[in-house]
Amino acid sequence: MTQTSDAIEARTASQTTIVLDGTEVPFCDGETLYEISRRHRKEVPTLCYDDRLDAFGACRLCVVEVDGFRNPVASCTTKATPGMVVRSTSETLERHRKTLMELVVSENTGGSARNGNIDVDPLRGLKSQELSNLATRYEVDGTRFAGATSGKSRQDDGNPFILRDYDKCISCYRCVRVCAEREGDYAISVMNRGFHTQITTEFDSKLEDSACTFCGQCVQTCPTGALADRKALRDAETPGELKKTRTVCPYCGVGCSVDMLSKGDKIVGIHPAMDGPANQGALCIKGQYAFDFIQHPDRLQTPMIRASNGQLVPATWDEALDRAAAGFLAANRDHGRHSIYAIASGRAPHESAYSVQKFIRAGFASNHVDNCSRA
Amino acid sequence: MRTPNEPAPLLPLLHAYHDRDGMLTDDALREISATLKIPLADLYGTVTFYHFFAREPGGRDAPRVCDGPICKLKGCDGMLDALAAEGAKPMPCAGRCDEPIPVLRGGEVLTGLSVDDLRVRPTPLPPAYPGDDEECVFAHIREPGRATLDGYRANGGYTALESALRDASPGAVIETIEASGLAGRGGAGFPTGRKWRAVADAAGSPKTIVCNADEGEPGCFKDRAIMDYDPHAIIEGMVLAGFATGAERGFIYLRYEYPKTLEILERAIAEAESAGMLGDDIAGTDTEFRLYVRRGAGAYICGEETSLLNSLEGKHPFPRNRPPFPVTHGFEDLPTAVNNVETLASVAPILRNGAEWYRGLGRGEHAGTKLISLSGDIQRPGNYEVPIGLPLRTLLDDWAGGPQPGRSIQAVTMAGLSGGFLGGEDLDATLDEPSLRGKGSFLGAGGIMVFDDTRDMLEVAHGAMRFFAHESCGKCFPCRIGTQRLTERLARDAGPAALDAWREEVADIGATMKATSACGLGMAAPLITESLLRYFPDAVRAHFGD
Ligand SMILES: Cc1cc2nc3c(=O)[nH]c(=O)nc-3n(C[C@H](O)[C@H](O)[C@H](O)COP(=O)(O)O)c2cc1C
Ligand code: SF4
Ligand code: SF4
Ligand code: SF4
Ligand code: FES
Repeated sequence: MTQTSDAIEARTASQTTIVLDGTEVPFCDGETLYEISRRHRKEVPTLCYDDRLDAFGACRLCVVEVDGFRNPVASCTTKATPGMVVRSTSETLERHRKTLMELVVSENTGGSARNGNIDVDPLRGLKSQELSNLATRYEVDGTRFAGATSGKSRQDDGNPFILRDYDKCISCYRCVRVCAEREGDYAISVMNRGFHTQITTEFDSKLEDSACTFCGQCVQTCPTGALADRKALRDAETPGELKKTRTVCPYCGVGCSVDMLSKGDKIVGIHPAMDGPANQGALCIKGQYAFDFIQHPDRLQTPMIRASNGQLVPATWDEALDRAAAGFLAANRDHGRHSIYAIASGRAPHESAYSVQKFIRAGFASNHVDNCSRA
Repeated sequence: MRTPNEPAPLLPLLHAYHDRDGMLTDDALREISATLKIPLADLYGTVTFYHFFAREPGGRDAPRVCDGPICKLKGCDGMLDALAAEGAKPMPCAGRCDEPIPVLRGGEVLTGLSVDDLRVRPTPLPPAYPGDDEECVFAHIREPGRATLDGYRANGGYTALESALRDASPGAVIETIEASGLAGRGGAGFPTGRKWRAVADAAGSPKTIVCNADEGEPGCFKDRAIMDYDPHAIIEGMVLAGFATGAERGFIYLRYEYPKTLEILERAIAEAESAGMLGDDIAGTDTEFRLYVRRGAGAYICGEETSLLNSLEGKHPFPRNRPPFPVTHGFEDLPTAVNNVETLASVAPILRNGAEWYRGLGRGEHAGTKLISLSGDIQRPGNYEVPIGLPLRTLLDDWAGGPQPGRSIQAVTMAGLSGGFLGGEDLDATLDEPSLRGKGSFLGAGGIMVFDDTRDMLEVAHGAMRFFAHESCGKCFPCRIGTQRLTERLARDAGPAALDAWREEVADIGATMKATSACGLGMAAPLITESLLRYFPDAVRAHFGD
């Protein structure tokens, strides 16, 4: 108890204030102007920011005015100091932000209408709407600052998971940073410089020949859809509204939260949940991409039982359950309760996993139960 | 690199493989990646950042021809054509604007106005001092043998170091430098004494002194003159900086375009080591300082101090976000003083002659001197040491002989290219920051390129912007995209067909670049278009056929 209140006291003691848009607001040691602004629901735009990553300071949209500084400062990389007087918006700032948006959109449109170039299917990825949303907010139609376009899509990279559509890339390097800082895979990097920067891998290879583990983290942080979820895009034309259902990935013991995407009855993709307590937006290849089996045509449609000749033949549920019950009872009778051991599949829903352990514990008074995803 | 365990190993390793194989092969990158534990994707991306490193067979030895602003006037395009069969490539200003066109070939710099004329020429000495004032950095540079230890010692060399180490405290050295008014000569003009004090006061060790010898600013070639003719002055300045701040190691980060300078520095360092002026127990005291030379590989941005530090550390050379500044979080995140060659070369003379002496070298209120690299349409190009506050006209007309007969000066650049143009009545400026900043420019590193009335200023501006676009690191949006869009607009490859709309786009891009870019490159580049529109509205109008 004392420890907690001490800690709170220490924190309050180190807490001082800045003036944000005319109001005095407290902050904690180490907080950036962007973090404080967001806490106070200021709508400071960003494109290179992902709160899980080290602030990078590339897009410059987050600039704010601070008294005593000649130029606006990037709020994402500027830590608050006591007494700072900060404006998160002003006519000048909004003008710079609009110019920046026009510049960045022109990188993809070259000066033609924004449609198609930056307005992308949300199935591309979790954050794929960031650029087009901001372009709408700043009323950028794509036609100002005509000129060369940057980034070259890797049409040749035919891996089944990640579309590398760099024509839509704005070089925010969130993908490179998430791969390094969150995944620790260092599979991708920045090649060349200036307007010619391009996301690459070792020797500019395909992803499957690189250190990539296909975790999909880069796809899900990409603010433009330049990196896109190829599997989800299979259902771009499938009718129906896109629905999100929060669940937990069953594959392993970490328990990553995910949002399952569906259209009608069809599961079309997975988004990592940024607020998942176990994963905070992280996933691995299985949680991200391995869901096809659920609605796969090869799945059994009816129970199967083994005939006397050893062949599996279709059966009714009653037949199958009777056969299984008989087997369990015989084993229990002949060899005792510890002869029974159940392993639930990581591909089964959590509800099934729960039923299996209940069945073994309540039905046979045994704790011999496990799950293949205990890892 | 003389031993494999020296600090900052990536650049030397890359150069060693590059020299050995004439290119950087996949195998070389794999070996380096495994040795230094740098992820292969990162290493590959970083290698592509440096334009000198070739990835195709024979690429290292293909001639590089300077196509900087002054070499353009001298006909570098013809030289490039003439060497096309050898796979010649252009390189940005190679820092020899007072010489014929430089061509780097097989680890050697040749100069010439045509292919037949190409040969090795030594760095020109600064012209005999034309002024009535007194020099500091160049005071002894014209003495024969000055580059050797004996020649350096003949006029008081290393006495400042010896007496500081024996009789003075680090604090006293810093006080003298503070009192002298010496400010950074590499571009930003930060007071040197204050920088050193911050490093001395910062927690953490080992501390580092970095001599910024990247001299990438077009139109600047003054640092090479010092290094070639007075290398011990830099060594003495660095050891004094080490003593003052408590740093025990130093790097000289040298642009690759100066291969001869590398030899000269290595020789001077070896001499200083054997004379006990570097290493352990310097001058018989317990001060130690180790000095390493590291070569860049063709990236102007690596002259920006935080990009330089990333480059030394083997990281992708994007500039870092500041704060924290290098004085507390520099090389390997430890306290570091990054100083320009000229700044460091000023230190020993200041300590020998006193702070008051140095202050008094400037005109009026201004303290000290500044080296100016003067080139272009001027009779006597070269390096001049001017008292700060000297009228620009005095330098151009009296010291350097003015434009060619029958010509008049249309424009000069300031700070190399980073200060944009001065023209018209603003050529009456004096060479000091208050005067120049008042005209929307700055003195910076002190490169001044002269363009007479025969020159097409739109073409010059286009070349300048193309340089900034070529050298933008690509980290921040306003500079990465803005330099490209401004280049296109100056070439009229893209952008509005009507003059007013064109002007508005150029002004909007420039304003946002100046206000929001993450480093000095993106902030400086729009000074080109801003000053073009200010001084040469008619040329711009003519560009539109009006
Ligand atoms: C784009 C850019 C390029 C620079 N290039 C150089 C350079 O080549 N040499 C140099 O000394 N300083 C250069 N600087 C300035 C350095 O960042 C730094 O201010 C300087 O080295 C500090 O030394 P000083 O205080 O002695 O001038 C450059 C700055 C920028 C923004
Ligand atoms: S999928 Fe994962 S491992 Fe592969 S590049 Fe993206 S973040 Fe890196
Ligand atoms: S691919 Fe996406 S995340 Fe990566 S740099 Fe481009 S826009 Fe940013
Ligand atoms: S201003 Fe230009 S050079 Fe500097 S960080 Fe931004 S992109 Fe890089
Ligand atoms: S969020 Fe600050 S620069 Fe992008």
